[in-house]
Amino acid sequence: MDALTLVVAGLANGSLYALVALGLVLIYKTQDVVNFAHGEILMVGAFIGYTIFQILGWSYPLALIAAVLLCGVLGALIERIAFRRLAHEHHITLAMVTVGLSFTLKGAARLPFGGDIYTFPPLFSDTPPIVVGTAVISPQSLVTIGVAVALTLLLWFFFRSTTMGKQMRATQQNLRGAQLVGINTGRIFSGTWALACAAGGAAGVLAAPVSLLYPDMGTNFLLKGFAAAVLGGFESIPGAIVGALIIGVIEMLFGGYISTAFQQVSAFCIIIVVLFVRPHGLFGHKPTHRV
Amino acid sequence: MRAATVHKWFAPVLLLVLLVTPLLTDRYIQYVLNLVIIYVIIGIGLNLLLGYAGQFAFAHAALMGIGAYTAALLVYRLHVSFWIALPAAGIVATIIGSLGALPALRMKRVYLALVTLAFAELIQWVMIHWKWLTYGTDGVKLKAPEFFGFSMHGDHRTFYLLLLIAVLLYVFAKRIVESRIGRALVAIRENEIVAQCNGISVARTKGLVFALSAFYAGIGGALFAVTLGFIVPESFGMFQLVIHFSIVVIGGLISMYGSVLGALLLTTLPELLRGFQSLQEIIFGVLLMVFILVMPAGLAGLGKRKGWLPQEILSRNWRALRDRQAAAARDAASRENR
Repeated sequence: MDALTLVVAGLANGSLYALVALGLVLIYKTQDVVNFAHGEILMVGAFIGYTIFQILGWSYPLALIAAVLLCGVLGALIERIAFRRLAHEHHITLAMVTVGLSFTLKGAARLPFGGDIYTFPPLFSDTPPIVVGTAVISPQSLVTIGVAVALTLLLWFFFRSTTMGKQMRATQQNLRGAQLVGINTGRIFSGTWALACAAGGAAGVLAAPVSLLYPDMGTNFLLKGFAAAVLGGFESIPGAIVGALIIGVIEMLFGGYISTAFQQVSAFCIIIVVLFVRPHGLFGHKPTHRV
Repeated sequence: MRAATVHKWFAPVLLLVLLVTPLLTDRYIQYVLNLVIIYVIIGIGLNLLLGYAGQFAFAHAALMGIGAYTAALLVYRLHVSFWIALPAAGIVATIIGSLGALPALRMKRVYLALVTLAFAELIQWVMIHWKWLTYGTDGVKLKAPEFFGFSMHGDHRTFYLLLLIAVLLYVFAKRIVESRIGRALVAIRENEIVAQCNGISVARTKGLVFALSAFYAGIGGALFAVTLGFIVPESFGMFQLVIHFSIVVIGGLISMYGSVLGALLLTTLPELLRGFQSLQEIIFGVLLMVFILVMPAGLAGLGKRKGWLPQEILSRNWRALRDRQAAAARDAASRENR
């Protein structure tokens, strides 16, 4: 296979992982919670997209918007019900709640959809793939990359220029300080979860046409998102995005040149190797301990 | 009857009852009971790591799988006796599990969870894809062990083997947590720096607890393979891990009774819901969240608060200490009466 083709396909997958990793990093930075249920948020997004596009027969953009909104609401609800009151708990407690949440969501998805595997119809079945030089690029890859880039720019603008975005950044830097200057941190927490889960839902709808839909689909994306966040140091959103793109491309090259079976585990190997060599990630800073 | 008397006689009576149960059970109930005993072993191992030492690692189900596969493959492929394969399973799991201590020494908090999660997925991938060794998704069969020509076929016979191993491992773990090591583990859980300042070797203690916990998982896995008679890689995935987490969290972290109570409840519950995977997942997930939020000390914590269970103190001589104090108090009281 042509290297350039693999790279573009890798970038498309990488931008999906970037949306997942972004949500993980946002939640971790704001509340110190590692969200092990984030893959299930993506799965919920994918199934919302499937229901709207396939069962109700509405258009794909509408499915995308609905999934983003509903997942955002779901995220805000999860925060309000479970995590607001847990703010000061041990990190094991927090992570364990997300593990429980992950299985609850999986089970809830299995109730209506059962153990079957669903396929989302390809969006561009009659459009021929675009050929640029030696690269063959599928239109689906372009849509994925385009939407992911648009969402990332939107988020960048949000954090840079809106009051809520600035308040979120302040809360991430120093919770007590943010509270002292009168920021309603509860609202910020809910907003952060809503944003993170909305990004996850968008990734779900974008992933649906290129992957199979089943209740366990999230785990794979979660691990890729973790790998990306770990590469980026878990504290930095640009780091996570770069990490995600690197992982998407490496994975495709692994699949193209070594074996497709190894493609699945490349992300796990990256997590393990990176954490052994640089425990604080490629872009992270070594933490200092205060005694 | 005084509560202390009940507590004193509880363990021997329970053992006696357990010894005669196989006479009263049918095959299915016996099978479930055997599973409970296996999950007691696994729960104790995870409780040492997650409860006492506070290390949030995701590799327990994978280590159980390693134990199960080691035992099954040794018996099936190399025709090794089960009595060698069982300790071998424990040892292989211990060696691989000790590797878990390496990241735990360097990494804090989330990173340990992430690296062990990646490791667990990697192990499952190896079980599925390394076909010439593990037969992949076809699984491996394991025949019943023989004891000097006496075949331990059937759940009623394996029960005594399981019970013996479980009692030994329970007592061993109890001795460990009531020793210096147990207190060191809790100190590390509470604050590593303080533990270090008090002369605890954090590295050695963490290495020890990862190895111990992996040993329990490995033995539990091997016994799991014997009881089921057939293992596939899917048995050791995320769902298995959530069962383990639920056992220690719902039963009670930092409690020996907790692992037993959790295993009893959470092994019988999925059997009642057999075939409804969605309901099992929802119940496990919701129970896990509710217990963490509402009752972080689990069922054992509730039992101890209500006085149904004796207190657990991390010292071996606490009974003697308590009796001495009680005697001193009685003396003081009788002197005053005089």
